[in-house]
Amino acid sequence: MFEDRSFQRVVAVLGWTAMAVLVFPVILTILVSFNGSQFIEFPPKSFSMDWYANIAKINKIGEATLLSLLVASLTGLFTVAMAIPAALAIARHAFPAKAVIVAFLLSPVAVPMIAIGIAILQFFVWTGLPFNWITLLVGHVVLTSAYPVRTIVASLTLTNPSLEEAASSLGASRWTVFRTITLPQLTPGLISGFLFAFLISFDNYPISIFLVRSGVTTMPIEVFNYISQQLDPTPAAFSTIYIVIVSAIIVLVERRFGVISLSVRG
Amino acid sequence: MTDAGAASGVTLPVRRRSGGRSRRWLLVACMLGPLLGFMVVFYAVPFAYLAQESFQSWDGEDEPKAEPTFDYYKKTFQSSRTSRALTRTFRISLVSTLIALVICYPVALLLIRAGPRLRSGMLLVIFISLAASLIVRNYGWLVVLADQGPLNALLVGLGLTSRGLRMVYSEGATIVALVHYVMPFMILPIYGALLRIPDSYSEASISLGAGPWTTLRKVVFPLSMPGVFGGTILSFAICMSAFVTPLMLGSPATAMMSQVAAEQLLVQQNFPWGSAIVTILTLATFAVVFAYGWIIRRVMKADV
Repeated sequence: MFEDRSFQRVVAVLGWTAMAVLVFPVILTILVSFNGSQFIEFPPKSFSMDWYANIAKINKIGEATLLSLLVASLTGLFTVAMAIPAALAIARHAFPAKAVIVAFLLSPVAVPMIAIGIAILQFFVWTGLPFNWITLLVGHVVLTSAYPVRTIVASLTLTNPSLEEAASSLGASRWTVFRTITLPQLTPGLISGFLFAFLISFDNYPISIFLVRSGVTTMPIEVFNYISQQLDPTPAAFSTIYIVIVSAIIVLVERRFGVISLSVRG
Repeated sequence: MTDAGAASGVTLPVRRRSGGRSRRWLLVACMLGPLLGFMVVFYAVPFAYLAQESFQSWDGEDEPKAEPTFDYYKKTFQSSRTSRALTRTFRISLVSTLIALVICYPVALLLIRAGPRLRSGMLLVIFISLAASLIVRNYGWLVVLADQGPLNALLVGLGLTSRGLRMVYSEGATIVALVHYVMPFMILPIYGALLRIPDSYSEASISLGAGPWTTLRKVVFPLSMPGVFGGTILSFAICMSAFVTPLMLGSPATAMMSQVAAEQLLVQQNFPWGSAIVTILTLATFAVVFAYGWIIRRVMKADV
C-alpha cells in the first residue's frame, strides 16, 4: 500500500510530525539551558553556562543523587536476582495456579503508583518497621520487579529448551547447564530488565514521596521541589546532563546487547 | 532419553532431569519462592491492609472505631472536589489515550516502512524518550508552553495573538504532557503487531483492487488490533494513575485522583479517606481495562 504516493506522503507527514513532537521539548530544554536570562525565554538572547554551575544550589542535590544511585542499583540487582529463578519457573515449568501467580507478579505495572506508595507507607506504620532508605528500596523493588520477569521470560521463550536437555543428557549438572547454556541465553533479557528497573527507580517520585522521612531524600524529589519553587533555567541544565547520560547508556547497551529489538518482540 | 539409550543397546550415563512429581514441585517452589514471598509480604499484604483501612471511620484520633463503614466511599462520590477529580481523571485519560493512538499509529507505519538504519535510529530516539526522566520531560513542556516560551513566540510572530497566552498550569497542558509521556508505550506495541503481519496480505488486497486507505482500514488495522489494544490499555492505565504530570503542568483546580488522594494522606492526614480514594482509583482502572478487553474480544471478535 506504500506504493501509492499520496498515501505514503500523508503517513510520512503525520509520522514525522509525531516524531518531532517527541523530541521537541528535549531540544528546547537543551537550548534554554545555555540561555543567559533569569527566566525561560525564547529565542535565547545570550549564551551562558551559569545554570550548569547553579545545579549545585539545588538543595542536597549531591547526597540525594548518591542515594538515588544506590537505591536504583540495588533495586536493579535484587529484582533481577529474584526474577531469574522466577522467570525460569514460568518459562520452563508447569505448576498449579500458574496464570494467577503470573498475573499477580506482573500486576504492579497496572496499579497506580501512589497506591503502592500509600499501601507500603501504611504497612510500615502498622508493623512498626523503621523508615530509612531500605523502606525506599522495598517500595522500588515492588514497583519494578515485573519488568525483569517480563524481559527474562521473553528472552527464554525465544531460546530453545532442547539445548538444555541435550546438555543434561550428556551428563552436565544442573548448575553447569544453567551457567553455560541458560545464562548466556537470557543475558539480553537480564540486561534490559536491570536497565528498566534501574531507570524507573532512579526517576521515581510518586512512591518515594510517601516513603521518605526526615533526612532521607532522593534526586527526583529535590529536583521537583526546585522546579516548583524557582523559575530560573537551572532544571534545564540538569535535564540536559540527564538526557546526555541516559542517551549514552542506551546507545552503548543497544550496541552490545540489542535490547531494543527484544523489548519490541517481548 | 533413557529409551533411546536402551533401544540402541548402549548404556549411557544418563542423569534424570528431575526426580518425582513432588521433587519437581519443590524445585518450582524454590525458584518462585523469593520473588513470590517478597511480593506477598510487601505488596499483597499492604494492599489488603489498605483496603481494610478504607472501611475505618476516622475522627482525628489514633484508635479507629471497630465497626467497618462505607462512609469514605460515599463521601468520595458526594464531595464535589473528589467526584469532579474522578470524572476529570476519566476525561483526561480517555482524551490523552485517543490523541496518542491517532498520532502514534503513523509513526508505527513509518517504522515498518523505514530502512534498517533509519528504523534503528527512530527506535533509539523513542527509547531515549522512554528512559528520560518524567520530571525532565514535563519540565520540557513547562519550557515549551511558558509565557515567554517558544510556542508563544511563534504565535506572536505569526500575528495570531498580540501577547503571550497563558498555557501552563491547565488541563490542556496536562493532556499535552501526558500524550507525550505515553507515546513510546503506544508506538512500540503497535509496531510489534505490524511487524507480524506478512507483506503479502496488503499486497493481495492492493492487487485485488482495494486502495491503500481501504487496505489500511480493512486489512492492516484489524490485524494490528493486539498492538492497538496493548498500547491503548497501557496508556490509559498510566494516565489514570498520573500524579507527577498534573502536579507539574496542572493547577489545584485541575487535580486528578492521585493528587486528591495524596492531599488526604500527606496534608489532611486522613488515612481512611486517602485509602478509599486510591482503592476507588485502582478498581476503576481495572474495571475499564477488563471491560475494554471484553468488548474487544466479544463484540469486535478481535483476537488479542
